[in-house]
Amino acid sequence: MNGPAGSTVPSKPRRNWPLWLGVIGFLLAMTLWSAHGIGFSLFELVCNITRGSRLLEESWPPDFGFIPRLYEPFMETIYIAIIGTVVGGILAIPIAILAARNLTLGPLIWFTDRNFMNILRTLPDLFWAMLFATAVGFGPVAGALALSVFTIAVISKLWSESLESIDMGLPEAIRSVGGTWREMIQFGAMPQGLPHYVSYALYAFELNVRASMVLGLVGAGGIGMILKTQQANFEYERVTMIILAVLIAVLIIEEISEAIRRRLT
Amino acid sequence: MTERVLTAPGGRVGWATWTTFIIAALFLISLWAIEFSPQIMLQVPAKVAEDLKAYYPPDMAYGWEAVLPAIVESIQIAWVGTIIAAILSLPLALFGARTLFPRVARIVKFISATARAFPEILLAIYFVPIVGLGPFAGALAIGISSVGMLTKLGAEVVESIDFGPVEAVEASGGSRILALRYAVLPQVLPEIVAHWLFRFELNIRASAVLGVVGAGGVGGVLLNTLSYRHLEKAAAVLILTIIVVLAIDMISGAIRRRIINS
Amino acid sequence: MTETSNNQNAGAIRFGKANIVYPNGVVGMKDLDLEIKPGEFVVIVGSSGAGKSTLLRAVNGLNTLTSGRVEVNGEQVPRKDGRELRQLRKQIGMIFQDFRLVKRLTVMSNVLIGRLGHVPSWRTLLNLWPTEDREIAIKALERVGIPDKAWIKASDLSGGQQQRVGIARALAQEPAIILADEPVASLDPVTTHQIMQDLVRINRELGITTLVNLHFLDLAREYGERIIGLRFGELVYDGSADTVTDKDFEDIYGREVSKDDVLDEEAVDG
Repeated sequence: MNGPAGSTVPSKPRRNWPLWLGVIGFLLAMTLWSAHGIGFSLFELVCNITRGSRLLEESWPPDFGFIPRLYEPFMETIYIAIIGTVVGGILAIPIAILAARNLTLGPLIWFTDRNFMNILRTLPDLFWAMLFATAVGFGPVAGALALSVFTIAVISKLWSESLESIDMGLPEAIRSVGGTWREMIQFGAMPQGLPHYVSYALYAFELNVRASMVLGLVGAGGIGMILKTQQANFEYERVTMIILAVLIAVLIIEEISEAIRRRLT
Repeated sequence: MTERVLTAPGGRVGWATWTTFIIAALFLISLWAIEFSPQIMLQVPAKVAEDLKAYYPPDMAYGWEAVLPAIVESIQIAWVGTIIAAILSLPLALFGARTLFPRVARIVKFISATARAFPEILLAIYFVPIVGLGPFAGALAIGISSVGMLTKLGAEVVESIDFGPVEAVEASGGSRILALRYAVLPQVLPEIVAHWLFRFELNIRASAVLGVVGAGGVGGVLLNTLSYRHLEKAAAVLILTIIVVLAIDMISGAIRRRIINS
Repeated sequence: MTETSNNQNAGAIRFGKANIVYPNGVVGMKDLDLEIKPGEFVVIVGSSGAGKSTLLRAVNGLNTLTSGRVEVNGEQVPRKDGRELRQLRKQIGMIFQDFRLVKRLTVMSNVLIGRLGHVPSWRTLLNLWPTEDREIAIKALERVGIPDKAWIKASDLSGGQQQRVGIARALAQEPAIILADEPVASLDPVTTHQIMQDLVRINRELGITTLVNLHFLDLAREYGERIIGLRFGELVYDGSADTVTDKDFEDIYGREVSKDDVLDEEAVDG
């Protein structure tokens, strides 16, 4: 047991070469094919550095005089975000609950709801914005609708996963004394689930403020619309101003939101 | 005596009620501000339903012909962007770990926070004039934006590892770089690669959208079909996008789970 | 295994009026004067916080002195990180209470980490180890009796086996000095004795200066040659394991010896 005599070193187990080569080969092929497909060229990138620096020059300093005109569109952005978060947040509640394996009403409902939720998640928020803009016309209503859908997608995914990992002791106890499904959810699951819900709702609000920045690019209201016109007119100093203003606002909102979330947990 | 016990102590109006009240107030103010009226609320479902009829039946021939190539392009954009971000973010994540490089980490964290602040589409607006319209601009935008997020997440992973082996390597005469290679990387690589994969899933959605500003991909096609109200064609775009994204999510998710469990 | 002590001084340690005061004011080492000759097997005892780890870590530079000198083989231990310190550390192997293996890597890779100081960086970065160094790693594993575990993932081993890998890693450095910081504190009694026997055997067969921190007094008596007692960072006892008494231990600890200070509970009297 302690001496050097006796045991011999086994030979090194063969590395799984086919698997390794396959993976690396796939990665390389995928990268080369994709790079070629999009016209990736380091050469071009380097050549265009001068164009880039010229653009940066044109974009600086930001046009501070433009700020007054930003107030209304910016507030519109916030309103859209609020509406989207509230509507989406309310609708997300049943969707998330039914998507949680431990709380749902039955396998068929769970399956349908789960897949419905996943499908909602696949389309980017801008797509929803475009769809609603086509249906109800350009403007903030389309944006609010788009963000509602987006919020449902975000909150229901996060919250349903969190609900699946709660302690089922109390809910089961309620069931076993004859409580209805609704009572089980309301008194058994919600006390544990609500803090997380609020956290996710705040997170969704943060995302929505950012998103409504760009919704205007497709005509769905908010500051994005001004962004689009200024960019189309090559007024890059104004574009920078807009982006700067929004980024600062987003940072502030995120800080406040983080602070609230930390006080909850 | 019993009545006393049954009444809740303190005021009847708790902070939960106040919060709900405030949120409701904000909600109503917002509705009013964007000139929402009950009329609109009635019209919305009607209009949406109307539109829905026009989307059916979806024009799948158009789908194969025009949409699939665009989706492929979106995948390529997301792939290149994610690869760029992965390669750049790995060293940055290492240097951005407070536990390993206390002084440098602050700078790195600041840079990554700045990169994170920009939605990809805004970066694309800047890249398009530089390298021209098309997917290349999109990939660059996604790359830069992703670097921020991946660096932050990567640094967090590095900060959470067991520091003991690092000290052991240095105690036996190894340099910090060697400690990174032998004590840090083996601990963090699986989790970091999982983050890369998840980022790829998110970037597919991002790249789909970039077409709207001319940076290539499916977004441009959707915008076109909607502008011309060729809704059956738009339906094809949506269906194919949904299918492809779902498929990629499933495959990527499965790979991620296998990596984490290795 | 090649002889490491060609140089008569190889493995000599000397402290001269060494002091360590931590930033928060705690005194880790106070006016330490100590000389350790090559090949000695020294056990260091003292209650928690007495400065045992501080002493060990001062030898390979993991702790820096606030004043005074610490020398290895006549040369001052460098105070700053850099090539000199790394060169010194190559000759000093360290064994930790929590083993400190890279769990995801194989035993072989973990032992090879001991060779990192001896192989050019470009090779180790690419994981291209010379045959010579692999041989050294294998011999180290043989010396601790677990060559058959070479290709097993480190986390799949028992505690005792993992500590053996830790010892093998230190041996792979072909060091002049081995520092063992509470090497058996996390192990069960049977494995504890095995590991202590390993350390003693290695010291005898290879002549490597060995410093071991222990908090079990019966182990100190059983396996030590020379015993050093620390209290509040000061050297309060320096003698042979054959002649140390329970009263000496009480002086070192500043209190009566209790059951917790001994591995085998039957050995404590009164």
